[in-house]
Amino acid sequence: MSAGGGSGPGGGGPARRSGEAFWWALFSGGGVMAALFVPAFVVVTGFLLPAGDAAVVAERAAAFAQAVGWWPVKVALLGVITLSLFHCMHRIRHLLMDVGLRRYAGALKLPCYGAALAASLWAAWVLWGI
Amino acid sequence: MANNGKITLEIFRYHPETDSEPRYQSYEVPYNEDWVVLDAINWIKDHIDGTVTHRWSCRMGVCGSCGMMVNGEPKLTCAAFLKDYHPRAVKVEPLVNFPVERDLVVAMDGFMDKLDAVKPYIIRDDVNDTSEGEYRQSPAELARYKQFSMCINCMLCYAACPVVGHEEEFLGPAALALGHRYNKDSRDEGQSERMEVMLSDEAMWGCTFVGECSVVCPKHVDPAGAIQQAKAMGAQEYFKGFVMPRGAGE
Repeated sequence: MSAGGGSGPGGGGPARRSGEAFWWALFSGGGVMAALFVPAFVVVTGFLLPAGDAAVVAERAAAFAQAVGWWPVKVALLGVITLSLFHCMHRIRHLLMDVGLRRYAGALKLPCYGAALAASLWAAWVLWGI
Repeated sequence: MANNGKITLEIFRYHPETDSEPRYQSYEVPYNEDWVVLDAINWIKDHIDGTVTHRWSCRMGVCGSCGMMVNGEPKLTCAAFLKDYHPRAVKVEPLVNFPVERDLVVAMDGFMDKLDAVKPYIIRDDVNDTSEGEYRQSPAELARYKQFSMCINCMLCYAACPVVGHEEEFLGPAALALGHRYNKDSRDEGQSERMEVMLSDEAMWGCTFVGECSVVCPKHVDPAGAIQQAKAMGAQEYFKGFVMPRGAGE
């Protein structure tokens, strides 16, 4: 059916399906997470939770810790953290490509996405311990 | 105050058969409030220097042939008024990110190849005979792609896009927006063919959503938005590929 099939990138068969679609999907999901939830977390944990006198703050912190101890919250938090990390590292990888490392586009995947994965595993380990 | 003094145009000159490198040449032209940069270049060509080479046709923002860099910005010279620059000089250069053919004229071959690659036309498995009537489309279905169909192939977005300058494989804003335009057309059945091209390495994923393409577009097309939508559709196709191997659903 495809008249241009033979001249497409990758020669005869179907064109190379780039893995970029996968990384972009993580980037895109992470963008939504980072934009929607991270500012709310910053406001809640950075400003609202520590506001007021020590006894109130301690009570609030305990309630917060209890909520985080509930496993669906752990899963949700891990989702936000992991996707945000992949969002960040995908952007950094493309930034590095734009500033002159384009020919290392493939090689940059390991350190960039590897760092996001390592930090995600660390976050999972921390959450597991709460 | 129709005619009020003079204005200087500094024009990029390069004749490959005689010049070893490009140079700039200044011309003084009458300043006319109603004039656009293209009028001034035409005046130079008619009255001062017939060797100045540039492309133009309609003078009304429809043909898309007079795109040039005006003081460093990609513009249709038929829509760039001298009064927005006067009394400063106006520097006119060929569109960046393209090879220069001669003076203000760039080579379009690479762009045409990219345009061709996204198959910017309706593809159908079975084409009805004209006697069977038209393929009907609702206003809502039209609205899904209409703005992307306003592209006049002026290539300003290619001059504005930093990724076009870096990455040869990148199909670029106009071609991707036009591919997306046909993917969104309810009469079209060619999405999987186009996606084969658009999903390859840097063809579409090279876009980092700088957004300058949409800023400079003289027809208010939003290629940056089209590319983001196309990426989302592409990601869906990619994941569908695991569930439903290619070819099975066609």
